[in-house]
Amino acid sequence: MGDAFGAVREPPSASRRVAAIWRRHAKVYGRSFWTNATPAVLEPLFMLASVGIGVGAHVAQTFNGLSYAAFMAPGILATASMFTAAFEATYGTYFRMKYQSTYEGILASPATVRDVVIAELLWCASKGVLYATIVGIVLALMGYVTTPWALLIPVFGFFNALATAGLGLLMTSRLKNIDSLQVFFTLVVNPMVLLSGFLFPVAQLPGPVPAFAMSLPMFHAVETFRLLSVGPDHVSETWFWACPVALVAWAFVLAFVGGRAFERRVLSER
Amino acid sequence: MIADTLNPSLSRAAPDPVVDADNVVRRYGAFTAVDGVTLRVERGECVALLGPNGAGKTTLSRMIGAVAPRDGGGLRVFGLDPWADQTRVKSRIGWVMQQDALDEDLDAAENLLVWADLHGLTVERARARSAEVVKLLGLDGREGSRPAALSGGYRRRLAIARALLAEPEFLILDEPTTGLDSQVRHALWDVLRRLRDGGLTILVTTHYMEEAARIADRVVILHQGKLVAEGAPGELVRRHLRRYVLEVRADEAPDPARIGCPASDVRRHGDRALVFHDDESVLRAAVSQCAFGTAIVRPSSLEDVFLDLTGSSLGG
Ligand SMILES: Nc1ncnc2c1ncn2[C@@H]1O[C@H](COP(=O)(O)OP(=O)(O)OP(=O)(O)O)[C@@H](O)[C@H]1O
Ligand SMILES: [Mg+2]
Repeated sequence: MGDAFGAVREPPSASRRVAAIWRRHAKVYGRSFWTNATPAVLEPLFMLASVGIGVGAHVAQTFNGLSYAAFMAPGILATASMFTAAFEATYGTYFRMKYQSTYEGILASPATVRDVVIAELLWCASKGVLYATIVGIVLALMGYVTTPWALLIPVFGFFNALATAGLGLLMTSRLKNIDSLQVFFTLVVNPMVLLSGFLFPVAQLPGPVPAFAMSLPMFHAVETFRLLSVGPDHVSETWFWACPVALVAWAFVLAFVGGRAFERRVLSER
Repeated sequence: MIADTLNPSLSRAAPDPVVDADNVVRRYGAFTAVDGVTLRVERGECVALLGPNGAGKTTLSRMIGAVAPRDGGGLRVFGLDPWADQTRVKSRIGWVMQQDALDEDLDAAENLLVWADLHGLTVERARARSAEVVKLLGLDGREGSRPAALSGGYRRRLAIARALLAEPEFLILDEPTTGLDSQVRHALWDVLRRLRDGGLTILVTTHYMEEAARIADRVVILHQGKLVAEGAPGELVRRHLRRYVLEVRADEAPDPARIGCPASDVRRHGDRALVFHDDESVLRAAVSQCAFGTAIVRPSSLEDVFLDLTGSSLGG
């Protein structure tokens, strides 16, 4: 507030501005929480019922001592926390940028474009925490989560969603037309899920494919959630600890690259 | 009272201008939208930015309001570079954008509270200020409505309420009354006049001459990205034109020699011809001598200055 000599209120700090934008997103999301969260719970259940239990009934093989359903169940933690961030960082941000004047309004306040980008990344990552937590509870209730390491599931929901958000923002920063997002999901997101080791071990794939698949963040996410759900005894790789580390590294790299690209895109339209 | 609630600090004069623009340039590709504008806005002053569509009003005000960068020239707002120091500058500005830029996902009350949060206000302060601006803009009873459910007039009121919430020292409004019916327009002018009288510095772009003449201390006319005239509304008319004008159909334009005025005082704009003269009786005499189909003699107005300088009439 101004004083008699024209001195003014201190401007809000960067963390306060980012928090305000984050709270704005949370407020909008929270209003339709059940509409948003119900599919988040049901979809993994359907996946588990149809693929894990349905298809799994025909799979005699065990996977490092796990039934097929128990093998694939932790992967749902990865897909759930990944998809929520993928949608939010593409359709969500593109709508806020282009079709609604959300950014326009926020940027008329003391917030900067960088604040908006950081808040988007953190918001996507927060949704990753939420979805990983919800799905984690559902899987635990069904008996697919068996170690105390599972308490770390929300943390890696954060990093998995952050990595995806970075990738999504990178995509959105190039986007000329919202229809192209379909291409992103068909050619990037879905193949990453299929190559992630979620439904079958990637090692069985031919030639150089396993090496490629194992370099992708989704592979690290699936392995990480499997490790956190059932413990190291049931994870094939002796270097299991490398997966969480790689996922965190991917998250920082993608968030940085995607965030920068998206920041430049928003700035170029100012 | 408004001065007290909105701006305790502003009635005291400060020597530095709020806006000091020196040869500001903005280009979009090869096109120069703002082409070397030099402009000052003093503390407590209300300046109207006029110009035809595409003149560069929005582009200029966005650079001043720290929401867009510039390509050249010097620009200081509160003595700071608005783009480089945008957080500091924007925390002192209340912005009403051309398309309102309200948050369509939030209701009116939430729009205000999120804005307060972005400005770093405490929750109690945000609540108190929200109640004040809701009252000031007559938004009582609409707090729960989403912007899309509000009429154009109430959307604009909400946009202004939001802009005033964090006690700005400088209000920027981009065509605040375009598209509103005349009753709402007058109500908003009333609000703006009261804010101006309370000492708030205001920059308002408009297509309405009447709006500029009523609320602005000074009018700035932009044309094709250049500042073509500035001054107090009355002074601008006196400086650019003779005091009276005779308006007739273009095909009936009288011979300047017959009226006794220089040919340069007869101008044609579309289907109308205007004859300017300082002596009203000379024009009245011309009317009685010639058998014009329709002829009006009236004092020259800001609208005539605008027409004269930009070659186009106002879109209002
Ligand atoms: N993002 C942009 N990219 C390219 N050209 C632009 C952009 N924004 C504005 N322009 C051009 O710059 C010129 C000035 O635009 P501006 O919006 O500042 O005009 P204005 O005076 O506010 O017009 P109006 O009265 O219609 O609001 C116009 O010719 C416009 O087409
Ligand atoms: Mg404009």
